[in-house]
Amino acid sequence: MTDRKPTIDGVRARRGRWLTLLALTGLVVGIAIIITAAATQRHAAQPAPGAWGTVASRTPTTPLPGPATSTMPSPAGTAKPAGKADPSNGPSTPAKTSSPADPASSTGTSHKPDKQAATSSDDSHHPTALPSSEPIKIDIPAITVDSTVFGIGKDSHGGLQVPQPGPHLNDVAWYDGSPTPGQTGPAVLEGHVDTIHGPSVFLRLGALSPGDKIKIGRADGTTAVFTVNAVRDYKSHSSFPSDLVYGGDLSSPTLRIITCSNFDQGIGHYVGNTIVFAHLTAVHH
Amino acid sequence: MKKSLRRAVVLAAAAAGLALVPAGAAHADSGQTYTATLNALNGSGGSGMLKLNLSGDQATVTENWSGLAATFDGGAFPHVQHIHIDGKGQCPTSAADKNGDGVVNTIEGQPSYGTIGATLSTKGSTSAKAATNIKIAPGGSSTSYHRTITLDSKTADAVRNGNAVIVVHGLDPSTLSKKAQAEKSPLVPSLPLAATSPALCGSLTSMPAGAPQTGAGSTAGVEHRGMFALGGGLVTMAGAVLLIRRHGLTSTRTDR
Repeated sequence: MTDRKPTIDGVRARRGRWLTLLALTGLVVGIAIIITAAATQRHAAQPAPGAWGTVASRTPTTPLPGPATSTMPSPAGTAKPAGKADPSNGPSTPAKTSSPADPASSTGTSHKPDKQAATSSDDSHHPTALPSSEPIKIDIPAITVDSTVFGIGKDSHGGLQVPQPGPHLNDVAWYDGSPTPGQTGPAVLEGHVDTIHGPSVFLRLGALSPGDKIKIGRADGTTAVFTVNAVRDYKSHSSFPSDLVYGGDLSSPTLRIITCSNFDQGIGHYVGNTIVFAHLTAVHH
Repeated sequence: MKKSLRRAVVLAAAAAGLALVPAGAAHADSGQTYTATLNALNGSGGSGMLKLNLSGDQATVTENWSGLAATFDGGAFPHVQHIHIDGKGQCPTSAADKNGDGVVNTIEGQPSYGTIGATLSTKGSTSAKAATNIKIAPGGSSTSYHRTITLDSKTADAVRNGNAVIVVHGLDPSTLSKKAQAEKSPLVPSLPLAATSPALCGSLTSMPAGAPQTGAGSTAGVEHRGMFALGGGLVTMAGAVLLIRRHGLTSTRTDR
């Protein structure tokens, strides 16, 4: 009876030490999560420095010397940001396609020389283009996206429709006027960053980085695997690079994934777009 | 601090100006762009894509295709290609094969894609009259085509009205049925059926205008709201526990 009290005290003290340790760990982990979220947030919400160069270097009315060069963002006009790799700077290894300005067809997008070498050797054997088959599923492990894909067309104003309220609201849409993923040319996918109900399928699209994999299941049973070349943020809708998204390099199988970005608190709308550029690197049968 | 803030605002304004001016100019006088995904017809195994920018009657065509028949009579297989107009603006399905030889020939495909409006030749004439001139057709199993051509008003209208279809012709004869291999081209009787039958087809559609509106703002631009919540929650909990612990310790000490 008498030696019980110290035991309770001892248990309390020990429990207390554990609680303090746990609390401190929680504090550190919590702060770390906030910092990480804030860092990737900045990446998602702010335009890549290249976006400015992209916009500034558009020279729309000059005669087209080559279809793929003049209407597209030119790497030459891009200001090099300090420290961070700019995906739009183009490859420092020789481009394997005729259109080095298309970020999805450039091979050397990583800023680390060793990683770049690895990327180049990965790309030394491009898989050949696949025949037409509609996409039905998308899997992006890096941002835990696992969604069905459905076809979508244009609205009455000629703009690309977006997923509407209903069963497909939070699914990924494939523009049915673009090639099917894996076919020659740029396949175009889009999804909401959020809806009136909250976060949607591409809430974290801007957190993707070069080298990340995007797997697309097709109706014919094949899976087309794409590797991210560049993630770009276009600050305003007027800077949306239509020619690059829907045209660009027609000679190899590439992918563009679009969502909204750059929320304007003043008007309560997103005024920009995040676009992921990727190219086909593997096919699973 | 205030000074640097002001400088940042000025820089941002300058950058915004840069962004707006050229983007605004881009919309003037650049014409409308149309694209066509070229899918295999008649089991050709090929695929490709075509982009056409139409400004007035000037059409700048950029096209890539691959996987078609490579050789014919010892030379590069000629693949005549056209902008077809005034049909349904569609590509035919195998149901269009009226004579049951397993091939949708050029005539059988016409109810879907219509008649020839322009020829996408590599040089010389681009009129419908040059439609079967294999000397100025792209040759071989793949091509990277780029040419600016003048369209007549009928063809330009059809492109603008979404009633134009790109058709690339020329099949590998060995892939055809015995019956089809023995047939002659309904267009050029001196050629086998395979030579002029459609191998790739794609409807021209206008490039989507503007930027897609893929957000409603419920997360208000905070793309990682969940992470902020989780982090914030952990910090609050940790703080609370520490506070309670301190209180607990103090009271224990005073007890003693």
